[in-house]
Amino acid sequence: MTPDPRLLLGKPVRERILSEVRSLTNSAGRIGKLVSISIGDVPEVAVYVRNQARAAAAAGLPFDQEFWGGEVSQDECKALIQKMNDDPEVIGVILQRPVPDHINVRSLQSAIHPLKDVEGMNPASIGNIVYNDVAMAPCTAAAAVELIRETGLDMKGLEVVMVGHSEIVGKPAAMMLMAEGATVTVCHHMTRSVAMHSRRADVIVVAVGKPHLIGADMVKPGAAVIDIGINQVVKPDGTTEIIGDVDTDAVKEVAGWVTPVPGGVGPVTVAILMRNAMRAYERQRAAGWRA
Amino acid sequence: MKDTTATLIDGKAFAATVREKVAGHVTRLKEENGITPGLAVVLVGEDPASQVYVRSKGKQTVEVGMNSYEHKLEADTSEADLLALIDTLNKDPAVHGILVQLPLPGHLDEDLVINSIDPAKDVDGFHISNVGLLGTGQKSMVPCTPLGCLMMLRDHLGSLSGKDAVVIGRSNIVGKPMAQLLLGDSCTVTIAHSRTKDLPDVVRRADIVVAAVGRPEMVPGDWIKPGATVIDVGINRIDAPEKGEGKTRLVGDCHFESCASVAGAITPVPGGVGPMTIACLLANTLTACCRANGLTEPEGLTA
Repeated sequence: MTPDPRLLLGKPVRERILSEVRSLTNSAGRIGKLVSISIGDVPEVAVYVRNQARAAAAAGLPFDQEFWGGEVSQDECKALIQKMNDDPEVIGVILQRPVPDHINVRSLQSAIHPLKDVEGMNPASIGNIVYNDVAMAPCTAAAAVELIRETGLDMKGLEVVMVGHSEIVGKPAAMMLMAEGATVTVCHHMTRSVAMHSRRADVIVVAVGKPHLIGADMVKPGAAVIDIGINQVVKPDGTTEIIGDVDTDAVKEVAGWVTPVPGGVGPVTVAILMRNAMRAYERQRAAGWRA
Repeated sequence: MKDTTATLIDGKAFAATVREKVAGHVTRLKEENGITPGLAVVLVGEDPASQVYVRSKGKQTVEVGMNSYEHKLEADTSEADLLALIDTLNKDPAVHGILVQLPLPGHLDEDLVINSIDPAKDVDGFHISNVGLLGTGQKSMVPCTPLGCLMMLRDHLGSLSGKDAVVIGRSNIVGKPMAQLLLGDSCTVTIAHSRTKDLPDVVRRADIVVAAVGRPEMVPGDWIKPGATVIDVGINRIDAPEKGEGKTRLVGDCHFESCASVAGAITPVPGGVGPMTIACLLANTLTACCRANGLTEPEGLTA
């Protein structure tokens, strides 16, 4: 069965990005390793790490998994991260979340050097995004932008409505799209009428975590709809399923493109992480950190 | 002059109340904590406009009871010497705010210099970490001009929550931080710019319009929704032949008469946003001083 052309699928984009990174790693020789840090025993983190390890293998990037016990102190974590900043073997550091309650995750994210901050979480990395240097952007935001680009729509002058202004997705995505020349409107829970804004948008990006918030009546015919929401819901028969913030089946009757959940933004996000790692490597070389 | 229905937002008077508030807190800090906030201003070279700004900043700093430290360096000062001075100021506990007057002479790397200031003392809010902190809604030092606009909006409108705001212009020093601040106060924010397709239509939706593009009188009254609040950040000098040959006058990015006949409130140019900038610099220095000493930040003087 050919896939529905209105569905903007993440998998082909993921594969393209991973193979681009692969061709770079193939020609780069020995490039060092990406390090993932998990603190404490958090089951959902194990899933993320497994996904990242798989993508890293596909991209030809060495991937190290560090597991730090739940009793490790903030200072110890910071010291270990600083050691990685100085370690030429490490090209990038991934700090898995959530972390145990006694760990201040923001402070640790700030400790990761911007040149090794492959997740784009250090305030200085976000500052670079605001100032239009978007090479190493937060992965989910960058994945949303990548999928919009995939539609072939010209970003310049594009009317984008961003629903949700979270600091790791909504705000950086808004800044990145603005850097590309889009006119961005950011809506959120205090917005009087999201529909009023979303109905005139060429592109709607949704990241709020409310199942099926965006229905067909909120979408302009032909628009692109990027769904970043991941919500676990219980169906009437008691089983659970993962759905997005967009009522995909209804919206695809109106929209030009809609990303499915799962299978849309998610798969691209991990590929972006690998691309960021390669860019980190290139920037470290440009900065004279490595030969 | 045509009918003006809009309330004039008097930046000069409002800036005076901000300075008064700052002065009150400075007095309290001195009495209760034995601390005097200090602002260091670094000027490299002899750009006449910069000299005027620096003098005016120094004067107002002293007037609110703070210590002002002026460092005037030769135009050919080396980057190493400038960075060494900043390092000294970063370590000096009497200095709570550091401002390097821009523009710097061409041989100096502005980004490098600004990013060598301790972010906690970066009272201009231009350090890349402060940009990122503001961009993610965290506590930061906030750039003075957009902070001044925010204070005026809050003062005039009370809560900004749920209002539709349009920022025209996406500059790093005004447009972008302004958008972040309005989002922080729960506005629905659109950032419009030179690529925006139907700018009049976008502006017409807005309850709050902040114009910061630097194009004289580009926003006419028929772009303004009746009753909207208009903050005009632009300061443009244009020819004024009506005042005599070779004369000029200052205008904003908004066409004042026509906008004022539609808007609910508007800032004039000059006398609107302009006077707020230095007042906010003093407010930032006070905020930085309180944070550095682990004291509660004064209310209403930062985002």
